[in-house]
Amino acid sequence: MNELQNMLHESVSRLFEDELDWDALTRYEKIEWPESLWGKIIEQGIDKVLASESSGGIEASWSDAYPVLRACGRYTVPLPVSEAILGQWVARQSGAELPEGIPGLLTQGFSIKESKFSLNKSIVPWGSRCSYYMAIHDSELFILEAQKQEVANQNNLGRDPRDRISGEARILDRFPTNLDNDSLLYLGALVRSIQIGGASAAALDLAVKYASDREQFGRSLAKFQAIQHHLADLAGLVASVDAIAIAACARLDRSGITDNQRNARFEIAAAKCRASEAVEKITRLSHQIHGAIGFTYEYGLHFLTRRMWAWRTEYGGVAYWGEELGKLAVENGGNEIWPIITA
Amino acid sequence: MESIADKLRFDPCQLPADLHLLRQEVRAFLTDELQEYSVVKRSHSWEAYDAEFSAKLGERGWLGMTLPKQYGGQGCSAFERYVVVEECLVAGAPTGFHWVADRQSGTLLTRYGNEAQKKEIIPKITAGKACFCIGMSEPNSGSDLASLRTKAEKTENGWLVNGTKIWTSQAHRADYMIALFRSDPDPDKKHAGLSQFLIDLKKTKGITPRTIENLAGGKNFNEVSFVDVELPADALIGTEGEGWKQVTEELALERSGPERYLSCFYLLRELIDVLKDCANPAILAKIGTQVAWATTLRTMSLSIASQLHAGENPTLAASVVKDLGCQFEQTLPGLAQELCDLEPTLEGHGVPYQQILGNLIQIAPSFSLRGGTPEIMRGIIAKGMGIR
Repeated sequence: MNELQNMLHESVSRLFEDELDWDALTRYEKIEWPESLWGKIIEQGIDKVLASESSGGIEASWSDAYPVLRACGRYTVPLPVSEAILGQWVARQSGAELPEGIPGLLTQGFSIKESKFSLNKSIVPWGSRCSYYMAIHDSELFILEAQKQEVANQNNLGRDPRDRISGEARILDRFPTNLDNDSLLYLGALVRSIQIGGASAAALDLAVKYASDREQFGRSLAKFQAIQHHLADLAGLVASVDAIAIAACARLDRSGITDNQRNARFEIAAAKCRASEAVEKITRLSHQIHGAIGFTYEYGLHFLTRRMWAWRTEYGGVAYWGEELGKLAVENGGNEIWPIITA
Repeated sequence: MESIADKLRFDPCQLPADLHLLRQEVRAFLTDELQEYSVVKRSHSWEAYDAEFSAKLGERGWLGMTLPKQYGGQGCSAFERYVVVEECLVAGAPTGFHWVADRQSGTLLTRYGNEAQKKEIIPKITAGKACFCIGMSEPNSGSDLASLRTKAEKTENGWLVNGTKIWTSQAHRADYMIALFRSDPDPDKKHAGLSQFLIDLKKTKGITPRTIENLAGGKNFNEVSFVDVELPADALIGTEGEGWKQVTEELALERSGPERYLSCFYLLRELIDVLKDCANPAILAKIGTQVAWATTLRTMSLSIASQLHAGENPTLAASVVKDLGCQFEQTLPGLAQELCDLEPTLEGHGVPYQQILGNLIQIAPSFSLRGGTPEIMRGIIAKGMGIR
């Protein structure tokens, strides 16, 4: 990690570690909206790590933002931080200024006819809290009014809002962009891959700690070879998720997501496919190592695993990204797959 | 904020841009050279022995690339070698003759060999004219390598060796063996009683390799008996009693390379072609997950290469990649069989895909045995995590 990445990693981790203990996570998912935490995130400019300088950001790279996004997964931040961060990057790419407040990313469930946006049960993270929506259509970035639509409140397995929004949305602003219609989907997949890496690492840490503390048959669980092998297996899977996610960030910094023949789309697809596939075993092993205590609400492993189960499918899961990569493979033929990987 | 995962960071490595040219050159060379090779031979990859091919690679300057120039090496970076190696593996080039020499013996001799050994042997390695084998496992010492018993007793003129090595690939035709023997019988010195030796197999008497046929009919590995074998004093490599440490370093080279995930890549290529008209989303998604796995492993493997290049010691990371890579390559033949009902065939029957599949299904069990089992790898990982 470079100096900026270290600094971001430390400051963001400290904030989240202080703010998001078991009590807070429980309160936020059962009772209240984390107003003061959101305020601190805005105050520290965490949401603007990828924003342009003119928008008050630091124009960091995705590799620099990686530790921040990973911390959002590691500490299961119950706020749309990753959505806000990627929204700012999209704005920066498109020379746009975003309104204040929480952006809603539209990746599905909308249609456009004669410059009119209609949302049809569009799944929007924290949709009912959004100040505006963002959508990309035919080389234009649209900023839409988030008012007067019909909102069906719904949470994902992590108890984070994934509201369903329906109705017409007025265009507040529009900017020409070189991003593709599916760019928001790709970027959403990337941030979820990174978050899964963070949450996996936290689950691994909990599993190692629990196995070291808990004694059975007169010795700690970690002394049993079967448990050691579970932990080693788990560690390898976590490392694999992190490795491809960070590689996708590096590629995105280097080659963009559209304006280059060999852009980051391939690595992002691979990252989300790998992360989503790995979640099954990562969560299974984490719970197995913890025994029954990990299955309780009181212990808190579930804050991580429930989110991983949700993130696994969000912005496309194994079926979607696997098929995308599979199609790419068969369309190009066996001889081309290695040149694609090494390009 | 301390996290175990921080010990397992695989920072992305971007190869220097000019290596693109080298890659193109290697690809063109391999396309040309391998036209006449059977697909089964190609799917054997780094276990296929072909002295002529190795000599051609040597002529190109693509062997012993990282070894020092003063001994005839190329003095290249680890990345240049990495590119050549991964291209050879993916193309299914028969690299068995030079494989061990290029991967580990040359480096080991550069580090620990005496001047005469380096002067004589390293030029042969870089020319692709020296085939090495590894004398580690014994009939009663597999995963518990340090329990080995073959002894080297000091004599007036050198060493007297008696014992047996096993699973020694290419021993029946190799030029040299680098072997680990017990040079001190003191039972309290399990690890400290071991030393490494260089053996000229063409000139040394008393060594008898007996080829062991594998389940697929392949005749690659051997049981090698040593009966009153006399070695000169300077056959010792490095320091007496430091064999375990030297071997551990050697194993790091043996375990960290791209061959630990690419053994079945040739099959993946063929499978993709066999399924070229497939429109079944579930089957395509399975192919896609394998592509994602391969891409991930390549990223991790390359990251290790860069850690080695930076002079770091990525033992833990290398064990992780070997463990994951093995899962990938070992499950691929079975998955291919699930995705497509073209039956696996013996050599000479069926389309190329069927023959490759037939071969790889049979040899896949060895992937998790050679170079250290997943059980051993996971033990190393657990140790690295501080729980063992």
